[in-house]
Amino acid sequence: MKIRTEQFNQLAAVEIEKARVRPFLKMVPEFLYRKRAAGLPSLPDPDAAQAYAAAVRAEVVNRLPDLLEEFERNATANGAKVFWARDAKEANDFIVKVAKERGVKTVIKGKSMITEELGLNDVLTANGITPWETDLGEFIAQQMNLPPFHIIAPAMNIPVEEIRDCFMEKAGMETPTVDPVELGYAARVFLRDKFQGAEMGIAGVNIAVAETGTVINVENEGNIRFSKSAPKTLVSVMSLEKVIPTMQDAINMIRVLARNCTGQRISAYVSMESGPKRADEVDGPEELFIVILDNGRSKIYQDTEVREIMQCIRCAACLNICPVYRQIGGYAYGGAYSGPMGQALMPLLFGLDRTKDLYRACSLCGACASVCPAGIDHPKLFLNFRDKDVKQDPRFNSQQRPAKERMFFRLFSLGMSHPGLWKLGARLFRPIFNLNAHDGVVSRMPGPLAGWFRKRDMPAMPVKPFHQRWEELKDKKS
Amino acid sequence: MKVVSMFVPCSVDLFLPDIAESTVTLLRRAGVDPVYHQGQTCCGQPAYNSGYRQEAKAAARHFIELFGEDEVVVSPSGSCAGTVKFHYPELFQDDPVWFRRATELAARVFELSQYLVDVLKVDDFGAAFAGKVAFHESCHNLRRLGISAQPRKLLAAVKGAEVVPMNQEDFCCGFGGTFANNYADISESMVQDKVENFLGSGADVLLLSEPGCLLNINGYLSRKHPQKKARHLASFLVENMKEGRS
Amino acid sequence: MNGSNMEEVMAETAREDILGRLRAAPPKTVPPRPHLPPMKEAELAGEAMVAYLMERLAAEAYTPFRVKDRREALDKLAQIVKEEGLTCVMASTDDVVAPLDLPAWGREHGVEVMQPGQFADRQEYKSAIFDRAQASVTGASFVVAETGSLGLVHGTDNPRLLTLAPILHIVLIPADHVVPALDAAVGRVFGQKGKYPSQFSFATGPSLTGDITGYLFRGMHGPRRVMAIVIG
Repeated sequence: MKIRTEQFNQLAAVEIEKARVRPFLKMVPEFLYRKRAAGLPSLPDPDAAQAYAAAVRAEVVNRLPDLLEEFERNATANGAKVFWARDAKEANDFIVKVAKERGVKTVIKGKSMITEELGLNDVLTANGITPWETDLGEFIAQQMNLPPFHIIAPAMNIPVEEIRDCFMEKAGMETPTVDPVELGYAARVFLRDKFQGAEMGIAGVNIAVAETGTVINVENEGNIRFSKSAPKTLVSVMSLEKVIPTMQDAINMIRVLARNCTGQRISAYVSMESGPKRADEVDGPEELFIVILDNGRSKIYQDTEVREIMQCIRCAACLNICPVYRQIGGYAYGGAYSGPMGQALMPLLFGLDRTKDLYRACSLCGACASVCPAGIDHPKLFLNFRDKDVKQDPRFNSQQRPAKERMFFRLFSLGMSHPGLWKLGARLFRPIFNLNAHDGVVSRMPGPLAGWFRKRDMPAMPVKPFHQRWEELKDKKS
Repeated sequence: MKVVSMFVPCSVDLFLPDIAESTVTLLRRAGVDPVYHQGQTCCGQPAYNSGYRQEAKAAARHFIELFGEDEVVVSPSGSCAGTVKFHYPELFQDDPVWFRRATELAARVFELSQYLVDVLKVDDFGAAFAGKVAFHESCHNLRRLGISAQPRKLLAAVKGAEVVPMNQEDFCCGFGGTFANNYADISESMVQDKVENFLGSGADVLLLSEPGCLLNINGYLSRKHPQKKARHLASFLVENMKEGRS
Repeated sequence: MNGSNMEEVMAETAREDILGRLRAAPPKTVPPRPHLPPMKEAELAGEAMVAYLMERLAAEAYTPFRVKDRREALDKLAQIVKEEGLTCVMASTDDVVAPLDLPAWGREHGVEVMQPGQFADRQEYKSAIFDRAQASVTGASFVVAETGSLGLVHGTDNPRLLTLAPILHIVLIPADHVVPALDAAVGRVFGQKGKYPSQFSFATGPSLTGDITGYLFRGMHGPRRVMAIVIG
């Protein structure tokens, strides 16, 4: 997909307008947030389970090379073929090569954010191979040529009327309907022969178990199981950080992931591949390729402060609770990943210079960090990126801050360490600030504070600040 | 009598001095002797949040020098208290001397309601209010300092006041410092939601413990619903004391 | 060097590059894992465990039944076949279903019962399971009370598509196949190194989605209904 991270402000303004008109943004994140809150108590101690999951993910990220080698060894022993890709081009070229060598014309895709990041669908199409997204939300987004609105429910913002029109035009639906159940059934019918006929399946990976060389997918619809079971060739694409040490760890993680994502105890299907099918099996892939993708992650790994974003398990709990996401929805973030995890990951993948609004459009409320089962402190990461910009740290293409801002904080710093200057500055600023005061209220102030004053007042600065009032107060003890 | 040093946020000093005056009253009522260092300026939170750590360090050094000998430091702002407690040690990670000073001071810094309820064990200040109140949980208090029970205890002691539930009371009001000005579209949308929830709660007044939230919510109320107000908990308690201010 | 050798060298290089960069990164120590309280369900046993399973089956939108024995199970199956108007189904040949000789039983009840083993190749099998089978009848390797999940070890007796493609799935669950918690899979399925099944699944209730405006409904790509007959 085309990256539009530099257009954050325009996109956000548009989306806020739309949010007033479309109720789904008000409804669905709240709905998922409540589901999570209702689902966690089925664990004997939800806080302990979250803390444990976070500790495991931190351990994984800090043992990454060993675990990846162990995974590769065991996956290969199972008969899978492991391919390492440094970037999108290597991954895409490999997948296209595998497809072409096997005369693949049609690919069915299980939901995979990684393949969004790779822009794989466009590459397949350019090579004469037709990819079909089969997850209902991804299918709708693909047919309507839209980016994902939410990392778990990519089309949840699309009104049923638009889905109806799309299905009638592109999914062979004959009878118009706006009933979600009937729309879902129409998609089932349309995609069914794709499941049956496709020569290759491509899926992402939720968990790669090092101990057994197993790749695990978690889903509710069944389309990933189809992608992994019906075609002769399966390509499972995973980014480096998806690995987990043992199968027991995987079971614990599945419990936490399902509850954080949708409040379920377990998703409808959890399917685990340990190599291709055995000789006498009538379905399943004859060949299983596992692509281990870097695409900027080994670079992130070099920085021990920001490395923790690799602990993310893509549950979307941070999206659902984020007050900023709830106002603007997924499109404003301009890439495959939205919400706080997108604001933390995309700057590191694409560069701070291309994403400067992503890590500044945050009130640092900390709600995301408070729900994250992977132990990520998103606001801390945003503060790290802002610091990198000021320091002009070259590592992630930081961008120098505007001269006016740098000057302002230099002056501010002078004031903060010199009380006499500070108080003088306040005294000088007061009449300027209060110029348009009326009844103790300031409603207008042209210049850099115009954003605030658009819809908000400020109190006029009192003539006597507290530091002057204290002189009287300090002697008036009761 | 125990001496308590007041850490008055710059926003309170310059825009909302009544909050600091009320802090003085409450501390005296609770039996301690508040003092105020004239040399205080700003804790540096705006600089830190914007990535200007060198500038924040300058503010931090000044603050630590000024407050470093105080036995107890109390602030009517959780975000400011939090900056000193959590960000100052972080800023001096590579400087063992300042790190030690920052860490030692951090342990002696408290948010006001936390200090009154948990340390002084006073929650009743003789306030009375015949009406409904709602409470906004400020983000820094709730999530960084774990403070929620303490202001609610202070509220529960107000005679006659009915604390009504408010929808999404722990949701960010949209202040976030420079965020409110630089991402005004989003911030306005957030404060609008907060105000709708306040109005929907049926409360006569919205109470909170954070000057930044107060400026934001009152700023929007003043423009759009001028008959409604939010108050800082300290000011509310003092304004409604039966015997009046001390 | 010919083309494929070049590619292999490139692939080796990518692997060495990536692992090399990861190993060159500064180390970071993290706190040890805290204590994880075990699931309460792990203590379930006997009748209490089966009763708990029945609750979970209902909660996960199965159509659950409980019968005394194999006879009653077959009666229930006959009833379902009649009510659903089934004329063609596919059955597994796993340890639960094989002993029932469903093909023969089917002939008495007017329903054709196919089995995976009768198909020579993938294409034929796919045609049968996608287009002809109106339902599937299978057992499960074990069934988890904690979540109401079927533990499915896929293979020649219970292939992958069998419990996935038909719109109706009927699963027979003898009480002695019920286990307390998901952890059972660790030992039972992944206990012997090098002897893992090529695919193992947990399936819990009918397929579902909420992707259209967040409206949740059952029946997406997998079965729309799962009937569970618990025996004993």
